[in-house]
Amino acid sequence: MSDNTQLTQREQGGVASQESRQERRVTLAPSVDIIEDGHAVTLWADLPGVSKERLEVKVHDGSLTIDAESVVPVPSNLRLAHAEVRAPYFSRTFTVSEDFDTSKIDATLKDGVLKLTLPRREEARPRRIEVAAV
Amino acid sequence: MNGAFTGADLFKDLERLQRQMSSLFGGFPGSLRSTRPGMFPQVNIGSTDDTIEIVAFAPGLDANKLDVSIDKGLLTIAGERTTRDGQLPEGAREYAQERFNGSFRRVIELPQQADPDKVQARYVDGCLLISVGKRETSKPRAITVQ
Repeated sequence: MSDNTQLTQREQGGVASQESRQERRVTLAPSVDIIEDGHAVTLWADLPGVSKERLEVKVHDGSLTIDAESVVPVPSNLRLAHAEVRAPYFSRTFTVSEDFDTSKIDATLKDGVLKLTLPRREEARPRRIEVAAV
Repeated sequence: MNGAFTGADLFKDLERLQRQMSSLFGGFPGSLRSTRPGMFPQVNIGSTDDTIEIVAFAPGLDANKLDVSIDKGLLTIAGERTTRDGQLPEGAREYAQERFNGSFRRVIELPQQADPDKVQARYVDGCLLISVGKRETSKPRAITVQ
C-alpha cells in the first residue's frame, strides 16, 4: 500500500523529541479515519475518555500533533483485574503539506471523537478553467 | 530495488498473517467467551471492596442506542456504530479507515458475588462506565443467641 498524501504519513523526523517524550510516558496511537474532498481534508480520531481540557492539537513546522489524556472517573481504590487499554495517553503526529491553510483548522470533540477539518488554501483548490471560444 | 521498502512490505505481510491466524484460532486459549484482541469496544475491568467496575472505551456512540444487560451472571454490551452517513461524497478520497464501523457485542463474565440488582451505567466522554454492586452475603455478621 502506498501512502496517498503527506497527511497520512507518520512523522519520520524529529526523532529526538519523540524519544524524549516516550521516555516520559507510553502513548497509544488513536485510530483515525481520513477523507479528502476538493475543499478540505477531514480527520476523525477516536479518543475515548478525553475531555476538551485534556486535548491538545498543535500545528508546528508542517506537522499536526494530537496529544490527549484519557481520564475515566472511577473510584480511587480500584484494583485493575483486566486491561485492554493500558495507557491513558494518546498521541499521533501527521505531516501536513503546504496546500492546507493551518490557520483555519476547525476542531470539534464530541463523545470522545475528535473531528478535524483542514481546509485547502484557495490557490491549491482544484479548479476548472473555462476555455474561451475565439 | 530498495531494501528499505521491500522490508516494510514484508513486515506488513507478517502482520497480516498474524492477524489472520489469530482470527482463525482466537489467540490465546482461555475462557470459552474470551475474544481476540482488537475487539470493539476495548474493556478494562477492576474491582473495589463494594463494586465491580467495568469501563468500555466506546467513543462516538448514541447512549440511547446502547444495549447493556445482565443475564445469568453475564454482562452484555451491544450496539451499533456508524462512523459515516452513507456513501463518500462525490470526488472524495479515503486515505484511512481505522475506526470501528458496524455492530458490536461484548460479553463479560461477572464474578459470583456480583449483584444484578445493583447496576449503574453512565456514558461519559465516549466511555461507558458500568458499576455492579457486590452481594451483602460476604460481609461478616454477628448472630444473636436467643
